[in-house]
Amino acid sequence: MVRLVDLPPAQAQRLAAFECPNFTTEPWVSGPPLSRRRVAIVSSAGLLVRGGTPFRGRDPDYHTIPADTRSADVLISHVSINFDRTGFQEDWNVVFPLDRLNELAAEGVIGSVADTHYSFMGAAEPDLIEPHARELAGQLKRDRVDAVLLAPV
Amino acid sequence: MSALGHYLEEEGVATVAISLIRPQTEKTRPPRALWVPFALGRPFGPPGDPAFQRRVVLAALRLLEREAGPVIIEDFPDDDPREPADPAWRPPPLPALPADGTPAALAARLETEIPLLAEAHRRWIAEHGRTSVGLSNLPMPELGRYIGDFLCGREPRSRRVGFSPILLLRFAADDLKAYYLEAGAAGLAKPSSKQLGDWLWNSTSAGAALIALRETLLASDNDRTKLIAGNFFVPGLYLPNTARPGTIGANSMGPWQPGQ
Repeated sequence: MVRLVDLPPAQAQRLAAFECPNFTTEPWVSGPPLSRRRVAIVSSAGLLVRGGTPFRGRDPDYHTIPADTRSADVLISHVSINFDRTGFQEDWNVVFPLDRLNELAAEGVIGSVADTHYSFMGAAEPDLIEPHARELAGQLKRDRVDAVLLAPV
Repeated sequence: MSALGHYLEEEGVATVAISLIRPQTEKTRPPRALWVPFALGRPFGPPGDPAFQRRVVLAALRLLEREAGPVIIEDFPDDDPREPADPAWRPPPLPALPADGTPAALAARLETEIPLLAEAHRRWIAEHGRTSVGLSNLPMPELGRYIGDFLCGREPRSRRVGFSPILLLRFAADDLKAYYLEAGAAGLAKPSSKQLGDWLWNSTSAGAALIALRETLLASDNDRTKLIAGNFFVPGLYLPNTARPGTIGANSMGPWQPGQ
């Protein structure tokens, strides 16, 4: 678990002290009920579709994962080796819960699932990610997405 | 992750983030976040448990219907039921590690050991319909030789266009670990991440070879080789005590520039 009190002190200290962006604004976008929302996953796990080029370092751009991609064709290329990968190896929903979203859409709990999902590589510098994230917002809006599930790793 | 939420929301797209490290989320203050008490690498909880995963996904998405923000940070109440060890799990049988730990012996042993797990790995794929092996595009027997060459002080040519030999080595190491962890988990038992990690790093030639490879390449004159060796082969938890840095964590890596 990642309750910091349960981690080795050095690791807990480093994770707690990790430098984070200090934003001066607090944006807030409201929207319709979940049953009318179109949901996309944006992961920071360094995911890619098999055959694509893995994230090679702290690359700040993103990969696209079409909604019809099979679980057998999604790989993980995050640069960190200090997190569990066995969960993802067994079941991609541990990191990329597309099956769960499709079920929720089929039941009408959410409105629909986006045509495309996305992955960054989370160790990239936030200020280098920023232009790619703002460009991605345009892609999401063109796909009529009005709810993004941000999934770290 | 929280920074992504900030940028997307500023552009008019509503977001909710899963938080794995609460203090970081408290600092970044994304519009909405659900902290989950799961291991790094498992943002939606246990594998093979759709009902549990669904509860996590829904708990997060429901925050989008709240009016009381920004900022909303809530806690998911339940631990990952797959985190404890499974006492019924037994690793695939492998010969005991040899006393001869020279690079040449380790390389030879690795090449011999990989095929011994082939049947277990095929069973894994049949059971789960997928494999995470595939970043390097190297077939498994050749992958072992590629790693073994580096271990013995040789630098083989890269087999993948656009990838330097050392970059391909990083992805070959990722593939090797994935192959072993998947083969080790084949079958009905549900080993924990720690059980599998302990087995890989303490009882297999792959673990011994990667630990030795790290030490060999850290002695290189090439800073990039040292950077990859030091950060991308052996998790901090399994470094020999003499090599363990003062801090470990998901983001513990040296300077690294995009495009390398």
